[in-house]
Amino acid sequence: MPASLHTILVVAKNTFRETIRNKVLYAILAFAAVYMLFTLFLGSISLGEDLHVIRSLGLAGMYIFGLIITIFLGSSLLYKELERRTLYFVLSKPISRAHLVLGKFLGLLSSVAVCLAGMTVLYLLMVAFKGGGFDSSAILAVFYQLLEMSLLIALTIFFSTFSMPLLSTLYAVLVVYIGHSLDLLMQAVQGASAPVRFFVQLLHYVLPNLAKFDIRSAIIYDASVPLSQALLVVAYAAMYVGLLLCVAVFLFEKREI
Amino acid sequence: MVWDVACRETLYIISYMIEIRDLKKTFGTHMAVDGISLSIKKGSVFGILGPNGAGKTTMMKVIVGLDRPTSGSVRIDGRDPAVRQTRESIGFMPESPSFYDHLTGLEFLTFCGSLFHTQAMKHHEYLDLLKRVGIFEAKDAPICTYSKGMRQRLAFAQAIVNDPAYLFLDEPLDGLDPIGRRELKSIITALQKKGTTIVFNSHILFDTEELCDEIGILHHGSLLYSGPIEAFTKGQPLEERFVSVIQHLS
Repeated sequence: MPASLHTILVVAKNTFRETIRNKVLYAILAFAAVYMLFTLFLGSISLGEDLHVIRSLGLAGMYIFGLIITIFLGSSLLYKELERRTLYFVLSKPISRAHLVLGKFLGLLSSVAVCLAGMTVLYLLMVAFKGGGFDSSAILAVFYQLLEMSLLIALTIFFSTFSMPLLSTLYAVLVVYIGHSLDLLMQAVQGASAPVRFFVQLLHYVLPNLAKFDIRSAIIYDASVPLSQALLVVAYAAMYVGLLLCVAVFLFEKREI
Repeated sequence: MVWDVACRETLYIISYMIEIRDLKKTFGTHMAVDGISLSIKKGSVFGILGPNGAGKTTMMKVIVGLDRPTSGSVRIDGRDPAVRQTRESIGFMPESPSFYDHLTGLEFLTFCGSLFHTQAMKHHEYLDLLKRVGIFEAKDAPICTYSKGMRQRLAFAQAIVNDPAYLFLDEPLDGLDPIGRRELKSIITALQKKGTTIVFNSHILFDTEELCDEIGILHHGSLLYSGPIEAFTKGQPLEERFVSVIQHLS
């Protein structure tokens, strides 16, 4: 195995271990489990639409709790190392800052993927319990969600190279909110003045369009998702992640530790 | 003539493996390290002394490549410390170390060792190292449960996990009880006998006197003295001489 890949994987494994043992993570997962089980009750009072309610709220819940986990862990990932100076141990070894950032990204992505997998298993069990069989299409929705989370992890790593965790969290939440509203914003400013239209267009080009990763409604209403669209979304996520990590590495290289 | 000069240069490089030339490091308008030039002999134990804020830690961070110098240069074995090959042969223990609290001591040491791709130890070697620094019994306990002394020992263990040719220790004996200090000092002495070049910062002048071949005295980022301890102390105890020199300057 090339030395650089080995180093990245070592950092990723360490990051995975460190994040997956965070007690706050278990508290969030416990809340997620309670919420998911609560959807069973909500389904039972929905007059024959129980499966629809469980699928709809279940997928939405997985998204919300996945988002909380991602932003919570991602926003302090690099900052904590800088503040507590654990980086001194790592960066005095034969490892570049770029490898460290990539390792951190992969490690956190693994932790988020494991959390999502756990929630997905619970969701699938609940749907099967309610007679919905194996909801294989939900796995595609979770895969799209994981792509969005990977983009958000890269985004929070980028933010944490220059800002404190609280600010990184705030920036990330803003990007999520705007990123899911870009199409609506573009429609809303159709008749607005030129500077407003220009500003929204700028946001549209610079910020990631996170609505592309939301196929939950399509899955719930059993609409098909073409393979070409899926590949485009994967490429879109990969491009943004690559770009954000490159800028994060550039900023991190410049930073005094 | 040319041959003679080449021989002398080669001999100089062989005997002085750490070369610091006109090193400067500024933070905004504050000059933390002010034009230091220093040569450290191969296989020696070199102590960097100085009052708080003298620039000891900053200088060490620049030497090991954690910080970039504002100007000047550092060469270890003739190479830049930021180069991968140089890092392979360096061990560094930071001052007041912080750890990944959710990892166990063994996991942390294995993580640090695994970053040396070609020199990574085997599992039993990590256990031996933990035994050597006296925290084997706590190997599976989370680091957040470790005392200050245990953390110092773990930080020391990670610094020697690659069996480095150059070992840089920032306040290595800080927070250790007398037994711990004696144990770490005996490891430092054993490493020196093996040929490891050791550079360390310390406030504990008694230990410095005991361990070091040579010392460097820093004050306000400048190097006041560099050379053998005896030449500096002139028959006085190191602490007495050090305090009188610093007080005289202040």
